[in-house]
Amino acid sequence: MLRLIPGDPAQIMLGEHATVEQVAQFRADSGLDQPLPAQYLGYVGGLLRGNWGRSIKTNVPVTAELAERIPATVELTLTAMAIVCVVGIPAGVLAAFRRGSALDLVASGGTLIGVSMPLFWLGLLFGHFFGYRLGWLPTSGRLTIGVELEPISIVHALSQALPKLLTARLNAGIDFISNFYVLNSILTANHTALADSLRHLCLPSLTLSTVPLAVIVRMTRSCTLDALGQDYLQTARAKGLPERDVLLRHALRNALPPIVTVIGLQTGSLLGGAILTETIFSWPGIGQYVVNRVLARDYPAVQGVVLVIALLVVLTNLAADICYVYLDPRIRYE
Amino acid sequence: MQSRRGIAGLLILVLISCTAALAPWLAPYDPLEQHILERRSPPSIQHPLGLDELGRDNLSRVIYGARLSLWVGVTAVLLALVIGVPLGTIAGYRGGWIDSLVTSVMDVMLAFPTVLLAIAVVIVLGRGLTNGMYALAFAQIPTYARLTRVGVLAVKEREYVLATRVVGAGPIHLLWRHILPGCLMPLQTQAMIGIGTAILEMAGLSFLGLGAQPPTPEWGAMLGQGRGAIFAAPHIVLFPGLAIMLTVLGFNLLGDGLRDVFDPR
Repeated sequence: MLRLIPGDPAQIMLGEHATVEQVAQFRADSGLDQPLPAQYLGYVGGLLRGNWGRSIKTNVPVTAELAERIPATVELTLTAMAIVCVVGIPAGVLAAFRRGSALDLVASGGTLIGVSMPLFWLGLLFGHFFGYRLGWLPTSGRLTIGVELEPISIVHALSQALPKLLTARLNAGIDFISNFYVLNSILTANHTALADSLRHLCLPSLTLSTVPLAVIVRMTRSCTLDALGQDYLQTARAKGLPERDVLLRHALRNALPPIVTVIGLQTGSLLGGAILTETIFSWPGIGQYVVNRVLARDYPAVQGVVLVIALLVVLTNLAADICYVYLDPRIRYE
Repeated sequence: MQSRRGIAGLLILVLISCTAALAPWLAPYDPLEQHILERRSPPSIQHPLGLDELGRDNLSRVIYGARLSLWVGVTAVLLALVIGVPLGTIAGYRGGWIDSLVTSVMDVMLAFPTVLLAIAVVIVLGRGLTNGMYALAFAQIPTYARLTRVGVLAVKEREYVLATRVVGAGPIHLLWRHILPGCLMPLQTQAMIGIGTAILEMAGLSFLGLGAQPPTPEWGAMLGQGRGAIFAAPHIVLFPGLAIMLTVLGFNLLGDGLRDVFDPR
């Protein structure tokens, strides 16, 4: 689909003063002179060998650029997901248990407004209020200038004894993990960096969690109400179980499987929202990366981001399906 | 049977639609007219919503923005319906390899976040309001295709459909007169919610600079252009955002209301 873009990417990259020979050489070097099916097969073969191409804009391997940025997006998305689960599920359950109460009305109204609100607008308002007016939280980047965060070096001592190829791959892996700033600061016991990185995470993750939070609260409320209407709860009460056990061990346990599935499905929404959130808060993840590269028509970079996001969505849904199997024994036996 | 939410949503949408229709008479200024010496001015009697980064009246731009947003939302959903409903109908009615192929393609499309899919289409077609609208229509096709397919699968095995087939009705007659009408209710509900979603996502694309281009008074573009001045003049981003939220809320309430009326469960 990207190849349908009018205009020659080689000409665009080399500029209007490039000679015909230079453009032809660039097209040959980049494989742009091959037929489309051959380009596709070459690309898939490269993917499987770990070669995702070079960015047309920077000439750096796409894998290297993505490896630098994926941890930022994953950290942001996981934090937002944690907020959704920790706040959303209890809020939905409480709203269901106290149906018709003021809490239920506030939850229903709040969720309706939450799914209607543009999250980039909310991000701008959060930044203005909490960042500029109150000065409580930073509004851009992942760390304050001057806060140092060393790469994780616990394995570097071991790397002397290991074969060179394994050392190189291990170091690349460690560098990748080092870009998870919260994890890095915990592993290196850097309390200053931990506090600073968490402060920087607050506004972007709160913004990003808004819409999925509203969806999960509605979904949890609906599933819990369904579960509360089931006959087996009457049986549990008739057996003499305390009301707390009836609600938590029976009603909530049976309400959870579809909620977990919806949480998994919300990953796509979170990753899409990350594109906007990272732009607002200058968060150096793959969302901001893809917006910059789209405008530059950097095919390999955009293809890499689309692939990574699709993989993340598939992996998260797989994890949700595995949780579903654990939560619902009937699935195991089918 | 009435739904208070549906009525509230309808009232909001009537207000927004009237504003859009009467924009040339309601807007106090031309949305492109600049009062450059008074740029970023806060709300006042002359300019109730203030002036933007280039000294243009915010109220006039918000009013004209309603036209664009409603046009984008409705057209994107109509296009998605025109393509998605036939796809879903063929997949559900014929079954077999056609069903598998259509379902697989729709599932692949649904694996991508809508914003990312829309971005990918926009870089093929180019930036702009119309191309952004095509991108959003493309991203919504799988939703309506799947909804139609599920509806057709459920309805086509009902006794009255089988009876109609037995007396010799052809597939076109069956689909048009008997099967599709049974699938309309969920499509209507989803369409209302889909219009709100399209408006929200168009605003997002315009905010990123991939949708409406300056000086078009589209709400998302206004937010994107006013971003740099948020600390000095927050009113520039406050009112377009409120307008987006109110419009999308209206469509969501109406969609919920339709669901309450036609599917009380």
